[in-house]
Amino acid sequence: MDMSQYKALFLSESREYLRTIAEQVVALEQSPGERSAVDALFRGAHSLKGMAASMEYGDVVVVAHSMEDLMARVRDGAVAFDAGVADLLLEGVDLIDVLLKDVEQERPSALPTDDYAQRLAIYTPAPPKEKRGARSEPSPPAPDLPPPPAAEAERAKEPAGEAGGTVRVKTELLDHLINLTGELVTNKQRLLNIAGELASPALNDAISETAKLLRSLHDEVMKVRLMPFEAISDRFQRSVRSVAKKSGKEIHFELTGREIGLDRGMLEQLVDPLNHILRNAVDHGIEESGERERAGKPVRGTVRLAVSRDRDRIQITVRDDGRGMEPATMIAAAIAKGILTPEEGELLSPRQALMLSCIPGFSTAKEVTDISGRGVGMDAVNAAIQKLGGTLGIESEPGVGTTITLRLPLTIAIIHALVVQVGQVKAAIPVNAVQRTVELSRRQIETMGKRQIFQLDDEAIPLLSLNRVLGLPLGRFPDGILPLFVTEARGRRVGIVVDRLLGQHELFVKQLGRPLAKMAGVAGGATLGDGEIVAILDLAGLL
Amino acid sequence: MTAQRLLLFSVARELFALNLQEVCEVMEPQQCYPVAGAPPHYLGLINFHGNLTALVDLAGYLRLKSRPLPGKLLVIDTRLAHLALKVDAVGSILDASSITGASSHDDPLTEALLETPQGNVRLLRLETLLSGLEQELQECAPNNAKPGGT
Repeated sequence: MDMSQYKALFLSESREYLRTIAEQVVALEQSPGERSAVDALFRGAHSLKGMAASMEYGDVVVVAHSMEDLMARVRDGAVAFDAGVADLLLEGVDLIDVLLKDVEQERPSALPTDDYAQRLAIYTPAPPKEKRGARSEPSPPAPDLPPPPAAEAERAKEPAGEAGGTVRVKTELLDHLINLTGELVTNKQRLLNIAGELASPALNDAISETAKLLRSLHDEVMKVRLMPFEAISDRFQRSVRSVAKKSGKEIHFELTGREIGLDRGMLEQLVDPLNHILRNAVDHGIEESGERERAGKPVRGTVRLAVSRDRDRIQITVRDDGRGMEPATMIAAAIAKGILTPEEGELLSPRQALMLSCIPGFSTAKEVTDISGRGVGMDAVNAAIQKLGGTLGIESEPGVGTTITLRLPLTIAIIHALVVQVGQVKAAIPVNAVQRTVELSRRQIETMGKRQIFQLDDEAIPLLSLNRVLGLPLGRFPDGILPLFVTEARGRRVGIVVDRLLGQHELFVKQLGRPLAKMAGVAGGATLGDGEIVAILDLAGLL
Repeated sequence: MTAQRLLLFSVARELFALNLQEVCEVMEPQQCYPVAGAPPHYLGLINFHGNLTALVDLAGYLRLKSRPLPGKLLVIDTRLAHLALKVDAVGSILDASSITGASSHDDPLTEALLETPQGNVRLLRLETLLSGLEQELQECAPNNAKPGGT
């Protein structure tokens, strides 16, 4: 029988099982007594083996079978679930992942699966270590911990099939649907322009109705494109586990909101930024156990990753109970590095001081480790989040911990943007990067040193010219009024002067592809209602 | 080394070729919209069947003398890039069998110098062209924003 037509289904279901297994292994390490998770792990390996056997992928069968056998020994109490078992099972997950790639590429595999099977078959746990002192903690869960996620994960993770009114749809089709919806939004703008010229009430009514229907269509298409956060979350659990192991720290990792749906286009782009934040939290946020003991904290540090949704915004927080950050230290470091003058440092609020960590090259850590690649990333993280139309905020209390909050739009495909004119060029700025627009009289401009500033809400806001940033001729402003928008750059509010503010537009964002995708400061492009193409500026990359 | 069929075109009175498979359409010049901050040989963005496509003046990029001709646009296969090249004119399609000689060239952008019935032709390496354009964009970081609104 020709099984090739089932290959795509096999691959997608197997990967879902692998993700479940990896998550449950990490969860079980945190709560080894969770019987339902042990059963679920056993069943996961068993199902994977069965599917691979029916497709005649012998190598996958060998690995999955060994994992199932090991879990059977754990379930029967012959072997305790310890770090050794977890390592072996995760190794099995990686092994099968490589085997699945071979299956996908239709190439023969040369992986030593028999060696792996043999190691699992003869595995015996290492004898328990002697306790190092009275403070060693056999099981130190924090008092407010939610129930272990393993069992919950199992319930949520049965691979979706055709049963129960669901169908599998190719992702290309979903991309095509959002593209069509985006083109319709662009076309609606075109109709609005024509209606403006014709001044026809009947046409206006029809467009208004079309706009409502389009909004509904857009919302529904976006819902279809949503994927649960858990599609990427297993990587974070493993990443935290691996950094904790390398740095010799004990970490309790919690994840909540794994079921929250995010646009699939956005999920992949969140992996690297979140990984970086989590690795930083473990490597630099959480103190060494001795330091924690002296501070009266539990030896085991806690890192919490929480995802939540508030209407059309997604919020992701990474919270650690580590050493926290001291705003004064951040300001002193920035002054020492020549990033700020002492006078500028005095003007910074504590929140602005913490955001200094997002300036390229800024770092206060005393030593570089090979674990988190310290200091070479928060600027990139911030830029990546802004590129997604989101914002990054940092709160920290010295000695108590740090919370990094990412706020993201539900979709990155259709956005609201402020369109501006600079020289002969129009450009769009996502409205989430615009705090407000101002029409400033020349009289309101003051000079502070070499800078021109204006006062807004009792704050001195420096002025920058977007024309100058983009290398365009400067505006003249014969009427003495300077249009500008206020945004945040490098932790400070700045006023960006443009030639004209052309109003807010709903834009369908398109990627620019090679070569323009490499251009710093440009996040994509869009077509306005009159067919004109504008670049969507990425202010974080530009300023 | 060379592809089966090549598309010949001219820029600044020189003959060039691209692998025909790398070009998806030859177009008449059309409305394009400038991209702020891009190097001067980026003429702007055009809408090619819904793809926002960068239009690059090939003569400008190669530092050859641009000619005041309306020219033609060579749209590169959209699976490879979102790029159209403005050239002076597009000639014939050349079958590899009619190439009478080939020699290498120091310029990494040139895969080979071909001797053909139409004359000497520089066969361009598309991947090198794309990488060069990308590298140039990465190097031309935005201007240092200096204060001052006027």
